[in-house]
Amino acid sequence: MAEIGQPSTIGLALEMRSIRKAYPGTVAVDGVDFSVSAGEVHALVGENGAGKSTLMKILAGALPDYEGEVRISGQVVRLSSPAVARRHGIGMIYQELSLAGPVSVAENLLAGQLPVRWGLVLDGRRRDALAREALARVGLALDPGRAVEDLSQHEAQLVEIAKVLRRRPCILVLDEPTSALSREEVDRLFAMVRRLRQGGLAIVYISHHLAEVFRIADRVTVLRDGRRMATSPIGELTPETLIERMVGRAADRLYASQARPVVGGERLRVTRLTRPGFFHDVSFTARTGEVLGVGGLSGAGRTELARSLAGLDPIGSGQIELDGRPFRPRSLARSIRHGVAYLTEDRKRLGLALRLSTGENIVSAIIGRLARGGLLSPGAGAGMVEDLVAALQIHPADATTPVRSLSGGNQQKALLAKWLATDPKVLILDEPTRGVDVGAKRVIHDAIERLAAGGTTVLLISSDLPELLGLSDRILVLRRGRVARELSRPEFSEEAVLLAAGGGGAHG
Amino acid sequence: MGDTRQRPLGRAWLVASRLGVYLVVLGLLVAGAFSSRGFLSYGNLLSIVDGVMLLGIVVTGMAFVTYSGHYADLSVPTTMAFAGVVAVEFLRFGFGAAMAGGLCVGLTVGLVNGVVVGGLRANPIVWTLAVSYVTKGLMRWLWLNRQIYPDVKSGATGAGEWFVQLYRQEVLGKITLPMVVLVAMAMAAQFVLRWTTFGRQLRLVGANPEAARLSGVPTGRTVGLAFVLSALAAAVAGVFITSLSKVGAYYNGEGYDFDAVTAIVIGGMTLTGGRGDIVGALGGVLVIGLMGNLMTLVGIDTFSQRIIKGLVFIAAVGIGTGVLRRLGREDA
Repeated sequence: MAEIGQPSTIGLALEMRSIRKAYPGTVAVDGVDFSVSAGEVHALVGENGAGKSTLMKILAGALPDYEGEVRISGQVVRLSSPAVARRHGIGMIYQELSLAGPVSVAENLLAGQLPVRWGLVLDGRRRDALAREALARVGLALDPGRAVEDLSQHEAQLVEIAKVLRRRPCILVLDEPTSALSREEVDRLFAMVRRLRQGGLAIVYISHHLAEVFRIADRVTVLRDGRRMATSPIGELTPETLIERMVGRAADRLYASQARPVVGGERLRVTRLTRPGFFHDVSFTARTGEVLGVGGLSGAGRTELARSLAGLDPIGSGQIELDGRPFRPRSLARSIRHGVAYLTEDRKRLGLALRLSTGENIVSAIIGRLARGGLLSPGAGAGMVEDLVAALQIHPADATTPVRSLSGGNQQKALLAKWLATDPKVLILDEPTRGVDVGAKRVIHDAIERLAAGGTTVLLISSDLPELLGLSDRILVLRRGRVARELSRPEFSEEAVLLAAGGGGAHG
Repeated sequence: MGDTRQRPLGRAWLVASRLGVYLVVLGLLVAGAFSSRGFLSYGNLLSIVDGVMLLGIVVTGMAFVTYSGHYADLSVPTTMAFAGVVAVEFLRFGFGAAMAGGLCVGLTVGLVNGVVVGGLRANPIVWTLAVSYVTKGLMRWLWLNRQIYPDVKSGATGAGEWFVQLYRQEVLGKITLPMVVLVAMAMAAQFVLRWTTFGRQLRLVGANPEAARLSGVPTGRTVGLAFVLSALAAAVAGVFITSLSKVGAYYNGEGYDFDAVTAIVIGGMTLTGGRGDIVGALGGVLVIGLMGNLMTLVGIDTFSQRIIKGLVFIAAVGIGTGVLRRLGREDA
């Protein structure tokens, strides 16, 4: 590392060549070249599923079975484990911080290498001095004795960065570092990133906020469908050209999208709904048989809005009307009874009981409804389960199979079946096809269309833009907890959604 | 990762785990037949059942707690003792009052546990351990650390004799009242587990509490009811054990907590919840009874028996989790 600063190729802190990583059924990253020089901020952008996180996992040593070559400071290395990656000077800062909340800043910073005296006794003074020194590198002057949980999100993030910097990395990866920060905090973070750049660090910056990319990056690499679409200096790009490269074949419509006639009247009316800190003044209406898309970046408040509508989280203020009558979602059980269903984005942790069978999962939200006077036979609802398994082509079709052994796509179909079983009037779908294969995706999309045709109101939250545009009748775009824009079908385009979600204009 | 599902050995183990405990029962019976001539006699078999029927009664209740993913109800022993002591104390108001008093103790302890663990989501082990400690102290303080006797407390009403007879009452030949009660309770518990809204929702809570909540299941109430059933069963067993020992005392029921968890785990209900059933758990009770009988016949002393019982528990938990993990069926 000592020779950094010599001619251009040696100046490359990181060079990844022809990187490829395949999973059964998909190629996540396909022949990608990516390099960062010392003293450069290189932004990595792309839609969800473009391959950014796979590429970064490889860099972090979490996916040792990649193909291709990685050079660090000119030397070929094999990133076979996170420890190896760390040893080669790669520092990762994820959205989720890895700090222990109740423990002091100093001990978090020096975890595993606390200074001791006489090989035994903790040297508190030296500990605090070392901690202050580390904090100074990120421009933070706080008491090292404070517990991390008492810090603001921004301070905690800086502590995390300081912790990584203590290992003297030559490459620093920042993954969506601003998603929880206020505007001023973003400014301060950027000032620090620029200082680190000046100090010769190679920085990889991942963000969905394109405006930020234009503020901080020197170069940009665009990934799409696992391939590298472009790498160019930031000066040669505008937000529009960048989005175009991210989206690619914009005309490529997967969806038949014959606009369904929206038949019914108003079913759901939401007026100035607010949950302080999560979403504010959200108003919209949805009609029977309508698919209302909800777009926005992660952290824009989409899931929070859905959870509040379903009665899982509280509501601060505002009104909801269901079929013209005021509706107060106090608990999920009550919402289900009123015909409001919510399909969670986290199928494994919150959606399914993985140990139980497909059939048991499908009836799990209607156990009470199937029962007569509190009694029900172990086989109750079998007919309905059979119908749903057939309709959604769940494989294996044997409903006694533990759901754990189903593929991701079939698990997702089972989760959808569970909510279809409740016969909902309003179905809120939170990322209904995240991480599923193309076949399952088609089945789920067909089911959504059939459902809408049958009069169900669907709220479709999706980060998959082709899906959002293909299925929705209207799209509501949220940005930082507020409705940024409502798009009607003629206005639909990926660019429009991305711009409204935070791609263009001032820092969103 | 993905293809642990169809491993034939794993499949076989799962089938075995459902029947498994009865295979173990069979094995122990065979082993017993070889090691001692009188082992398979009607008298000896009956005495084996006799020795574990109260454990069986406790298990029919505590199994609900384990099934719900809340491991165990450690307040069972003191609930048993407390129910017995109150029943004896109430004998002065008559036999019916004594029974009602005992059951009320169970109901009260169960409701408290249910509200605190189900509603307030306290750690079940820590909470029920604390409850057992407090209850024991309460008994010793209220009754001044003295034992109480049914015949003394009932005076001349004759209820005391009835009370003592309770455990020994023969209903059909040598079949005694506790056995009949056990069978009735077991059938009821199995029915509740399989055929009611509560049972099905409990399974969901045990398998994944978050998913249960997001399915509209009232998880707090469901878990609470499991603790109520556990304490009620303990109260029934407590009345019987007091009738057996003819004395109401704070130490009645000691050891039933550990034996019950062991039986439940041997019976195929994993500590993580949502698996197994009452029939299996009762198989676990039989295994414990047979093991004890066999060890006594072979001449192993009681203290060594305790060691072996502990090791069996560890093995049952270890094997269960190990296999499930290998199969990829365990969360975490």
